[in-house]
Parts: sequence; C-alpha cells; structure tokens
Amino acid sequence: MPKLKQNKNGQTNSINQVRYGCALGALHSVVAIPGAMPITHCGPGCVDKQYMSLAFYNGFQGGGYAGGAVTPSSNLQEKDVVFGGAKHLDQLIAASLKIMEADLFVVLNGCIPEIVGDDIGAVVARYQAQGVPIVSAETGGFKGNNFTGHEIVTEAIIEQYVDKYARNKDQKQKGLINVWSELPFQNTFWRGDLTELKRILEGAGWQVNILFGYGSKGVQEWLTIPRAEFNLVVGPWLGLRTAKLLEKKYGQPYLHLPVLPIGAKQAAEFLRAIAAFAKENEVQTEKFIKEEEKEYYYYMEYFTDFYAEYWWGLPASYAVVGDAAYNLALNKFLVNQLGLIPALQIITDCTPEKYREAIGEQYKHLAEDVSAEVEFAEDGYIVGKLLREGQYGHKPPIIFGTTWERDIAKELKGHIVEVSYPVSYDVVLNKTYIGYRGALTLLETIFTTAISKSA
Amino acid sequence: MAKEGLRQIAIYGKGGIGKSTTTQNLTAGLTELNKNVMVVGCDPKADSTRLLLGGLAQKTVLDTLRDEGEEVELASIMKEGFGGTRCVESGGPEPGVGCAGRGIITSIGLLERLGAYTDDLDYVFYDVLGDVVCGGFAMPIREGKAKEIYIVASGEMMSLYAANNISKGISRYAAKGGVRLGGIICNSRNVDREIELLRAFAEELGTQLIHFVPRDNVVQHAEIHKQTVIQYKPQAKQADEYRQLAKKIEDNELFVIPKPMTQDRLEEILMEYGLMDTIENDYRI
Repeated sequence: MPKLKQNKNGQTNSINQVRYGCALGALHSVVAIPGAMPITHCGPGCVDKQYMSLAFYNGFQGGGYAGGAVTPSSNLQEKDVVFGGAKHLDQLIAASLKIMEADLFVVLNGCIPEIVGDDIGAVVARYQAQGVPIVSAETGGFKGNNFTGHEIVTEAIIEQYVDKYARNKDQKQKGLINVWSELPFQNTFWRGDLTELKRILEGAGWQVNILFGYGSKGVQEWLTIPRAEFNLVVGPWLGLRTAKLLEKKYGQPYLHLPVLPIGAKQAAEFLRAIAAFAKENEVQTEKFIKEEEKEYYYYMEYFTDFYAEYWWGLPASYAVVGDAAYNLALNKFLVNQLGLIPALQIITDCTPEKYREAIGEQYKHLAEDVSAEVEFAEDGYIVGKLLREGQYGHKPPIIFGTTWERDIAKELKGHIVEVSYPVSYDVVLNKTYIGYRGALTLLETIFTTAISKSA
Repeated sequence: MAKEGLRQIAIYGKGGIGKSTTTQNLTAGLTELNKNVMVVGCDPKADSTRLLLGGLAQKTVLDTLRDEGEEVELASIMKEGFGGTRCVESGGPEPGVGCAGRGIITSIGLLERLGAYTDDLDYVFYDVLGDVVCGGFAMPIREGKAKEIYIVASGEMMSLYAANNISKGISRYAAKGGVRLGGIICNSRNVDREIELLRAFAEELGTQLIHFVPRDNVVQHAEIHKQTVIQYKPQAKQADEYRQLAKKIEDNELFVIPKPMTQDRLEEILMEYGLMDTIENDYRI
C-alpha cells in the first residue's frame, strides 16, 4: 500500500464525519440574502446534498424562498459533459428568469462544468448585457469548502453586481459599516447571531449592513456596501479576503476583531474596540454598554445562586470542537466569564494555513493567566482520539461540539452542547449564543444540559 | 466481452504525424491477409476512417447519442469500409467546449454495450488523437481494452518528444494492466539519418522500430481520392510498404513496457544523430 501523507495528528487527505460542505454549498450564502436566488449548474444530487447537510440536518434551518427544493439546477448528464453544458445553462437561466422572482440571481457551478470547461461567465455575461441582475461564481467543489465558496460568491456579487449598480460609491456615509462574520447556514445559529450582532452595533450608534439574514435589507443593502465608512470582520479569518478586496476597490479600511463576542465582558471590549478604531460613537457606545450590562447582570444576579450552590455534577473543564469563529468565541467566554478550564480545542473548518499561526496566538492569551493550545483537525477518528486522550481532571468534561461528538461524550461520561455543524439534535429558529442576549441563552443551554443528565 | 485472441491495438503519436493514414493503410493490408478488422476513430474531427469508407460521411457515435439518446442501433454508427473493415467514429464536441476525453470513454462504452466486439473479429484499432493529454484519451489502453500500442513518429524532434511522453502514459498503465508497446512506426519526413535516429530512439525506449514507411507522394494522391494506397494503386511500391507493416504487426512478438527517457537523454540522442548539427550546418533554405 502506498504511504499516505499525514499531518502531525495523523490526518490524511481523506476524512470521515464531514464538518463542512463543498464550495457549491455557498449557494446557501445566496439563499441567506433576502431577495437573492441561486441558479446552480451542476450534476444531479449536488444541491440536494449541500442542502440536506448544511440546512436540514444542521439545526433543521430549512430552504425558504430560494433554498432547498426551490433552487434551480441544470442537473447535468453525460451529454453535457461530452458536448459542454453551456447551452443547457443558458436554457436554465432563461427558464428561471421566467418563473422565479428575485432581485439578484447568482449562477454557481459545481465540479463537472468547471472540469469540462463550461464558460459560465460568458453565458451569464449575455444576460448581464441585457441588464438582468445576475452574476456568476465558479464554485467547483475542488476549489475548497463552503467557506472558500462563500468568499468566491461574495466577491462575485461585489465585482459583477454591486460595483456596476451602486450609486455614489465615492460618498462615504458616516457611521455605516459592513459586517463580515459568520457563515450563513454552516454556523447553525447564524440567524439569531447576526440579529444580535446588528442589535448591539446599532445600539452603539452604528448603521449596519449585516448583509445576510432577516435583518438585512437584501440586495438594496448590498448596493450600499461601497458607501460604508469601514468594514468590520468579526471572527478569526472568514471575511478577511472580502475586506481586503473592498479596501483595494473602494479605499475602505477594515477592522479585524477575531473574537465573536459572547457575554458582557467580551461584548463591551468588542464595541469599545470599534469606537476606538473609528474614533466615533464613543459616548453612545458607553451608554449602550451600561444599559446592556444593567439588564445582563440583572439575570446574572439570580443565576449566581444556582452557580454557587449547585455544586454536584457541574463540569469544570471543557473541550471545543468546531469552526474557528465559534471555537475562539466560546473559549473567551468560558474562561473569562465562567472560569472553566480549557482542556482541548480543535478547529475543524480547514482554516487556510496562512491564518493558523495568528489564531494559535489568540489561544495563548485567552485571559491574563490562561493559555491554551489549539489543534486543527477534521477527521472524525482523529477528533475522537484527541478527545479520548484529553486531560479533564477528576470530573467529566463538557464538550462543545457537533452531533458527531455525541458518542465520545457518552464514552467520557461527559456533557455535550452542539454548537457547530452538524447540529442534528437541535431545532433552531432564531436562537443566538452571542452578544448579551445569546450569552444568557448559552448559559441556560450549558447548565440545563449538565443538570438534566441525571434526570 | 471481446473474444480471447482478439488483438486490440491503439495507435498514438503527435498530431499530424499520419496516424490515421498509417492506420487505414495498414488495416487495408491486414484485410488482404483475410483478417477481420474494426477501426475506431477516437478523434473529435472524425476523420479516422475516411480512406476506408471512400469519404462517406457517417454519423459519429456521439452525434447519434446526442440526437437519438441511448436507444442506438449498431448499424447506425458502424459502416463497412474497404476490404470489409468495420468503421466507427467516436466523434466529439465542437472545438473548445465539452470534454472530448469523456466522449471517447462514452463511445467505447456504448460500442461494448451494443455488441460491436463480435467473435469473428481479429483486430480492433483505436486511432487516438495527438498526445495522451488526459485520462479520456488513455481510455483505449485501460485494462480490458487495447493491450498493444504502436506509436507513429518521424525524425522530427517534436514527434519524438511526443512519443516519449506517450511512453510515459503507457508505462503508467502497464504497471496495473496488461498494456504493452509493440513498436515505433516511422512515417518518414525525409530528415537526415532518420532511420538511424528512430532505431536508436526505439532501442532506448526498449522497443523496436517495427517499420520504416518511406515518404511517397502516392499516399497524398490516394488521400485526395479518398482511398488507401492499397485500394488506389495496389501495385505501387508504397502499397507493399503497408503490406509489410501489416505482416510485421501480424507476426510481432516483441511487447514491452517502455522506458521513457529524460529530456536530457532524449536531446543527447538527437545530438548524436546529427539533427541538431543539421540545423546549424546544413540549413538548406
């Protein structure tokens, strides 16, 4: 048998227990923009697979107006491979325009047409020339995962649509910011999280282009992207590429805050960093923080009885298995606000190599006196092995992970809170685990899970 | 399934080297030896059987598939040509679109399903375009198909580069299947010391120069008349050359896994046989 290349954890180029979709899965980023519609040019099963894994068995988020069973697809067959599928795509676009209503269409290709060499850009350009709001994004699965696909799609919309139709691009609007943060659908709680993020940013005085989800004004909002004062990237790495593109394109600076804020301490730090960066809204920021903390600690005060008195069966150490954004965010919260001990941290989103060192640095300074190591692994066997070998002290840990970690949590006699894709044992509507309000929900979830174990 | 003893042969070589011409002329020679031969053109241009069919345009396998779907009759894609040869053109997409390699895979698969590989066949020839650029063009030499390969080359540098490259493809497939190189066919371009160069090249690859086909204008004349030389001028000396090639292939027993050479070694051989010198010292234009 040929020797397989392995990394230090023994991971090869094949993995079991998927923890993300393929680049085409970014069709869900289109679905997440109100009024936008994906048109997919791919083989039979591609869309269904991405939908079922990212939007169904992951919080049962559903397809809605443009996702799931609605998304048009060319359903390519062998003759499309041999003769090229461009004509087929042309027919699909024409038919979709006839029966689908949308403010923006985004054509995404899968692997087959990209390998065969279908020029989807040329097909789409003919519609663009007629004034149809449509863009093309080359999201062949081999390009990478849905995080990569998300950046490809975002860039395509900016380059081919926003840049063309946005007005007064040079006139910056004071206080307006574009927010690039969680990956819609992949991050199971993105709907509630983005709502909370928008709420706290607006509370602190900003006008917010949240761009995805219910709180977004959809395609019209995207057209104001060039007018924003700056871009705000919230998370360890996703969105940086987009921010850099916008910096180059529209001269917009960007602020990168790696920690998605959970809880009052982190949220205050987050809001103050933004105000300091822009030298704006300082007064409103402080006013808002004060109001929010008043409410937050009102609930905390009552919670402390439980936290202080319920001394049997609560976990002391934890492990986090999930995408970089949630992983770092949880670590900050659990260490700084609950005083839990970080035992094992595994990032599973196939973070591009160039960002890994900087992310590792973040874990070295979780708190003034708390440092942790972070592993990058995706294979289910390796994740299980690392968890099994973890040192958790004399009490079983609480694992913040995915449905895949349920078995190992049982084995360790620990607790599990599903926070990262796939979340198959939670039905999620607008739950959030971030900001002020999300932190309270997270506390409820963590300790309900812990005490109900013996129920 | 093809019968035991059926010889399936793939002909490779640089584009424009004369693969189709050589294949058709030599299959004409094989029919004179009372062999039953099928020629499968594996080139989107669909010009591999023109000389055997007298230029009769026939619908390619892939065009038929596209227009009529899977319910294809064998008779609609296979035509009988000179000497009872069975002629098939795989066809392919328009230049610049689709995947011609996949087209070859599809059409050979269809030929198998339709029962084109009958027990009375002695030879199947696959005339494959140009270089082995991707997996699709290697289809004829995958396991269970062509076991024998001949590379058409000449004394021109680029054709030898291509032949060496093709040998890399063959040795890759040889490792897991039974495919072997049967020899190099020289389709002469009248360059200096061509036969010596080709012999040395073949030897370095571990194979043989199975036949040196001299350059003769009668080939072009026959082509203009849409015929093989054997049909057009059976008495011509060139017709005998193709008969000899046919006989040598019929009797061939030297089948090897080629040993492709490095670029440096290939260029050494070219230097040794004067090709480089010729350019510098004997430039006649």
